[in-house]
Amino acid sequence: MLIYRLVFIFMPVVIYMSFMWAPPAAILGDASRILYFHVPVAWVSVAAFIVSGIQSILFLVSENKRREREYMAYNSAAAGMVFTILTVITGSIWAKLSWGSYWNWDPRETSIVVLMLIYIAYLSLYSSLKEHPNRGGISSVYLIIAMITMPFFIFIIPRIYSSLHPDTIINQEGKIHLEAAMRITLFASIVTFTLLYGYIYRLMNRISRLEIKAEEKHYDI
Amino acid sequence: MHKNYSLYINKISKRFGKQLLFRDITFNAETGESFFITGPNGSGKSTMLQIIAGVQKSTEGEIIFSSEKKEIPAEERFTHFGFASPAVNPYDMLTASENIRFAASGVNGDRIDEMLHLFGLYPHRSKHVGLYSSGMKQRLRLIIAMIDSPGILLLDEPSSYLDSSGKDILFSEIEKIREETIIIIATNEHEEIKLCGKGIDIAEQTI
Amino acid sequence: MQSRLFKNLRKDFLIEFRNRSAMNISFAFAGITTLSVSLACGGASLTPQIHSVLLWIIIFFSGMSGLSHIFIREEEERTSLFLALHSDAENIYLSKLIFNIILFACITALVTPLYLFFMQVMPVYRLYFILTASAGSLAVASITTILGAMVAKAESRGSLFTVISFPVMIPVLWISIQLTSDSLEGGSPPELRSLLFLLAFSGVIISVSYLTFKFIWTEQ
Repeated sequence: MLIYRLVFIFMPVVIYMSFMWAPPAAILGDASRILYFHVPVAWVSVAAFIVSGIQSILFLVSENKRREREYMAYNSAAAGMVFTILTVITGSIWAKLSWGSYWNWDPRETSIVVLMLIYIAYLSLYSSLKEHPNRGGISSVYLIIAMITMPFFIFIIPRIYSSLHPDTIINQEGKIHLEAAMRITLFASIVTFTLLYGYIYRLMNRISRLEIKAEEKHYDI
Repeated sequence: MHKNYSLYINKISKRFGKQLLFRDITFNAETGESFFITGPNGSGKSTMLQIIAGVQKSTEGEIIFSSEKKEIPAEERFTHFGFASPAVNPYDMLTASENIRFAASGVNGDRIDEMLHLFGLYPHRSKHVGLYSSGMKQRLRLIIAMIDSPGILLLDEPSSYLDSSGKDILFSEIEKIREETIIIIATNEHEEIKLCGKGIDIAEQTI
Repeated sequence: MQSRLFKNLRKDFLIEFRNRSAMNISFAFAGITTLSVSLACGGASLTPQIHSVLLWIIIFFSGMSGLSHIFIREEEERTSLFLALHSDAENIYLSKLIFNIILFACITALVTPLYLFFMQVMPVYRLYFILTASAGSLAVASITTILGAMVAKAESRGSLFTVISFPVMIPVLWISIQLTSDSLEGGSPPELRSLLFLLAFSGVIISVSYLTFKFIWTEQ
């Protein structure tokens, strides 16, 4: 789809907006600009996980297109893993600047680490099932089991750790902390990074499709 | 007492990963018929039998197994099938009669003793199967496949490891149940092919 | 079908009882880990928080050492085809789950008193302590059964099992550690809600596993 190519236009614009156009935040100053990269990659990490989970559910539910769904679930997780690492890196830089240490086991930091562990577990399971004919089925079930534990984290995490994390963009009273220009930049950046993920994901799927075609041709002759 | 079964195999193909094993296998069989599947080593005879038994799935095509015109879903197929194959290993830590009891669905002790006598395993019935020779294990596999008098009997190289007396017992048993059963044998042995009315070469796809 | 479940269970117990080495090693592992922890601590006075962290780490790794065995054995002895030919997937799952729950209840029943004995601690809320240990070990057993079935089909099973179990196990460990620490410490009584959480978690995992097990067991 053409829409994902918009990332080539949007990305330079967003980079300009986040460094030049948006005003620096009150206390943190220019360091706060990392917000425009941290929040979008965090969002994509979660979105990629959800895409992967949906592909896994579809894999089990319907019998057709199973081979496509197998690599589509995997590709989304592989892309999501990279975004998760970026989230952890940008997050800990930001934490160092605003709270003084790189890592504090704050609820949000904890959740992203759990997400990263799930990605690592899924990818290692997938790779150690290399030649197994049922790789798609087994790895899909794992992702589904991992997904259903997510709601339980929402119950637990606030009880275990108290938060230092700045409230997500909107807090309980529905008040918005950010200035309009900052909000627009953040929103644009989230859209752009989602497009970037979509673009990468589609490319990965195309490569997988071609690989399968090439191998089938090779063996069938 | 015996029901009539019919089996339609329609355009079955199987891939392992990316490798094509066989393609477009079609045949059918009714109770009273016996059928052989031949083909060179590695052509997928055993896999074909496992697909029919419902423990593996085909990549393409469908298998319709019905009894008295009623279709039986793949998950329930195992209750109507007997399956003997060198790939099926009974539990080493159990004795022959414990293995049979585990596999059989509700048969009485007399039937088990009778089959053990028939295949000459009665004296060894309370030995752990781990101590059995390959020939004895093969006899046990055949007992387990036939104990429930299944509607379909799938035999993968049934006379492998068997001595001549073992083969005689097997062939006479097959003669006895032939009329009431669909028998499908995957083999390259001439003796076994002779037992069957018709068959297919899985590599050539000729009937 | 009831009798199918019973047959599967009988077979698993017979085999495991005759070839005790695997079970004995799990028990030995659990006992030795407990001993070595108490030896290393050497009478140092620890806070209830640390006691419960240590206890649950021991329980977690005891589970990791023993609970995938019941599925791996079928693959290693190449008997899984025999099993698949004579039982439906649901009954296989249930029999293995019951086996694992019983085995892990025994392991927990060995580890927990040993720990209390060697570390010289006594829970203030004893009933809560016992309930937490039971509910926690039920949750661990229900997670590891389905994950053990996956690992049995993969390569490099031992270490993979720990890698894939840990992320799913985190909620159970957190809650169990907190509850245990509360029941050791005294003060305000532990929350009933957290105990219910453990049971609900096990229930959800078991029902999802029951529904999805056939996708692991038979090829898609």
